[in-house]
Amino acid sequence: MNKIAFVFRTAPHGRATGREGLDALLATSAFSEDLAVFFVEDGLYQLLPEQAPAQVLSRDHAPSFKLLPLYDIEQIYFCQDSLTARGLAADSLLIPGQPLAAKALADTLAQYPVRLMF
Amino acid sequence: MSALRFALLVQGPPYGCEASAQALLFAQALLARGHRLSQVFFYQGGVYNANGYVCPASDEVDLVAQWRALALAQGICLDVCVAAAQRRGVLDAAEAQEAGKIGHNLSAPFVLSGLGQLAEAALSADRLVQF
Repeated sequence: MNKIAFVFRTAPHGRATGREGLDALLATSAFSEDLAVFFVEDGLYQLLPEQAPAQVLSRDHAPSFKLLPLYDIEQIYFCQDSLTARGLAADSLLIPGQPLAAKALADTLAQYPVRLMF
Repeated sequence: MSALRFALLVQGPPYGCEASAQALLFAQALLARGHRLSQVFFYQGGVYNANGYVCPASDEVDLVAQWRALALAQGICLDVCVAAAQRRGVLDAAEAQEAGKIGHNLSAPFVLSGLGQLAEAALSADRLVQF
């Protein structure tokens, strides 16, 4: 079975991409434990706490990211450069993840032959 | 090079962006080179490719018809995520009846299916290519 990486790179609510990526991730976790999740670029905004998307008529899917540890999805990585560029601290996000510098991020991502971008 | 088994993930609609057209061309190219295409999974805006109500002008490409023709000619599964499709008003006869809608716009060879089909494709295909 292929090892699969889910890469979140878009901000929530402007498009449903992140929400539907999360659905795909949770569904796939029922079939494999060899998954990793990467949050890069604006994808880090998916994990901001205290979103209020009802004001833009959007569903608040962010709390569902907290299901990842419960679904045995433990390989969670953040792009350190993206965190820095956005003034975000890893420990301020909804779930714990490992910040990786660019080279380490690329090396880790390369271990996953299937990569799905959301 | 030995034949590979491909699966495609299509996330763009049949008109207005190039994702679906590129996916179709890629599918035709890989088949022409002797590879196999086990599945096309339509997700996000890609579910609109299953909308049989699409009516392009006669001198324009009808991607819905082209996907249908490819699938029938090659025996390929065209799986459409049911949850993504319901949100976007792409329904087969059974779903339309259940939702109390008067028409339906999805029919074979497009099939409503679950994200488990995508997971299976991602886990087992030699190559999964996302458009």
